[in-house]
Amino acid sequence: MRVRGALAGGFVGTLVLTTALRAASELGLTRMDLPFLLGTALSRDRGRAKAVGYLLHFGFGEAFALAYYGVFRSIDRSGWRLGATLGVLHGTFSATALVNILLPIVHPRMGSLLTGADSTPLIEPPGFLMLNYGRRTPLANLVAHTGYGAIVGGFVSLAR
Amino acid sequence: MRTDGYAPIREYAAIGDGRTVALVARDGAVDWLCLPDLDSPSAFAALLDAQRGGCFTLAPEGRFEAARRYLPETNVLETTFTTAEGVVRVTDAMLLADEMLSPARELARRVEGLAGRARLRWRVEPRFGYGARSARVGRRAGVPVASTGADAIAVCNWGVGEPELTPGAVSGNFEISEGTSALLALSAAHHEPMVLPARAEVERRLDATGRFWRRWAARRGYEGPWRDAVIRSALALKLLVHAPSGAIAAAATTSLPEEIGGERNWDYRFCWIRDSAFTLAALLALGCAPEADAFFWWLLHASQLTRPRLQVLYRLNGGDRARERTLPLGGYRGSRPVRVGNGAARQDQLDIYGDLFEAARLHVQAGGRLDPETGRRLADIAGMICRIWRAPDSGIWEVRSDPRHFTHSKMMCWVALDRALRLAEDGQIPARHAERWRREARAIAAFIESHCWSEARGSYVRCAGAQELDAAVLLGVLLGYGEPGSGRLTATVDAVARELGRGPLLYRYTGEDGLRGGEGAFTCCSFWLVDALARCDRAEEAAALMEQLLPLANDVGLFAEEVDPQTGEFLGNIPQALVHLALINAAVSCAQGSRR
Repeated sequence: MRVRGALAGGFVGTLVLTTALRAASELGLTRMDLPFLLGTALSRDRGRAKAVGYLLHFGFGEAFALAYYGVFRSIDRSGWRLGATLGVLHGTFSATALVNILLPIVHPRMGSLLTGADSTPLIEPPGFLMLNYGRRTPLANLVAHTGYGAIVGGFVSLAR
Repeated sequence: MRTDGYAPIREYAAIGDGRTVALVARDGAVDWLCLPDLDSPSAFAALLDAQRGGCFTLAPEGRFEAARRYLPETNVLETTFTTAEGVVRVTDAMLLADEMLSPARELARRVEGLAGRARLRWRVEPRFGYGARSARVGRRAGVPVASTGADAIAVCNWGVGEPELTPGAVSGNFEISEGTSALLALSAAHHEPMVLPARAEVERRLDATGRFWRRWAARRGYEGPWRDAVIRSALALKLLVHAPSGAIAAAATTSLPEEIGGERNWDYRFCWIRDSAFTLAALLALGCAPEADAFFWWLLHASQLTRPRLQVLYRLNGGDRARERTLPLGGYRGSRPVRVGNGAARQDQLDIYGDLFEAARLHVQAGGRLDPETGRRLADIAGMICRIWRAPDSGIWEVRSDPRHFTHSKMMCWVALDRALRLAEDGQIPARHAERWRREARAIAAFIESHCWSEARGSYVRCAGAQELDAAVLLGVLLGYGEPGSGRLTATVDAVARELGRGPLLYRYTGEDGLRGGEGAFTCCSFWLVDALARCDRAEEAAALMEQLLPLANDVGLFAEEVDPQTGEFLGNIPQALVHLALINAAVSCAQGSRR
């Protein structure tokens, strides 16, 4: 179990996760676009925001992979099944708390439960399970994160 | 004066906080409030069922007279009650949160004795879920609370007598004399614990809310004629902006009837793509750049799920579900069904593409730019318009009869391709298919000129081959179909005014629409006529019509969707965004016309 396995898994996993969500968006299943949501925290230029957002997203992908690695180390187990289980937890957490509640609080251009007439955010809040971005968003998000977790778990178990 | 418990629609004023809107009748009753958001189920809906809807009354006992106004350039309502013994002022507002721990939604009602003394009675009787659930009433930390399921309302009170708790309601009565004051504040919570504020905090937020609205109004950069009406319209629109997303609701209510006792009762608590071009134009003309940006971003996001086709309307949070259903409520003065959701969401309406492209053009004209992905999507939509413009549709008025070839829809398809070409020339969208767009725009114009013009009527008609007229064709002038002042457009303006007009008011069309019964004059059409006259260099006629229309607003400057030309009564949902947008744009066109 090596940290470089986690880093490689984080990179590939984020690549797959991003591609899966992008495909879901193009297929009209969801309006969720994580790089866009992250990038607009730093820039209101839509094009630049997406570029910055992809960088941030890969950064967060690596950070979460290291967190997964920490869990694997602490229980001295890894593997794609365990990774997928963590991915389910990760996806659920991101839909219910991380993107739904925490991101609107820190995002300078996103509306939140507290937004009133005295502010004009540019981005609508995701809502519970990110349902504001489409009815199939929770499913797309969960599938993508499960895939991410499985890839990280698989890479960690392979890098022995 | 109420009829069977219902106040005239004209007697309602609106207060709000960017999330929801309460309607306050002239007699002091809050008859409409949805929580936590404008499109959530209601807590007070006496507007739609006087017996079971729930309401919050506050008024002097016995006979009284009421005079109202908004505090200047705010959405804070002031009602002055005069009784035989004294004069009392009630100040109502939905409060904006401050840096303190504030309730999620807060409705404050400050009572001040101005002269003599008066006895007032109040009663808070929420019925959650559109009147379906009466509240369980109890006390938390000594404060009366009405709750059910995930919803709760604390009735915070100071100086309003000892609250009496009865099943489903909290009430009280008190005497107020000159120089004294009292305060009632509803603190609402949804899926979270309630916040119970102190009186000083509520008083401070009430004053701060008034200051916010004055600051916001002072920043509006309109110095043309009829400024008071324009600023009031801007404030009404701001109430309809769903602050978290930037979407603008078409109105604050559902199912206020277009005919008393009739079936034309619709839910307007959605954002219509149709309104987007008017919205952008009005917001930019008033110097509301942040709101214009937020709305355009919302428009781009909301339309992503269904692209390249657009849905006619979207939820305020960007969702695409608007399933229409009826509620077991009595309806305003017996006007049933009471509907929530809107079946028009699933209709085909070709005109909305013209509005989208005009909105994009306005965004670019104001200094915005379209990122490459948005540009590609707009180009895809332009390509789709080339394929579908020959199909019949339900048109801007969302008829429930069979689809037809509506003239206005074809004109808006032409507008869409015209704007697509302009955006392509500016390098904002890919120009690869520009020649096809140009060719199809010419084909649309040829169709309109050969099939939608009637020599007999001397006008463009409602739809191809028909002889009926439609006020929506005025939008051809407003959005630049053909040349303003061209013979056919000028003749159409005259024909619409002549054939559809009743005094300064206009009916929206003649002919059937798949529904029983009739309706009032459609208020926004009259302002479109003002706008069209101004754009046809008939400034004096435009100004004269505007002078006739503005006094038709209610005592606080709001318009509902329709006006009965015979009685002057309001009909339909209130306040309606489209009317206030049309008023602003007409005033701006008149101001620009007078400068030409």
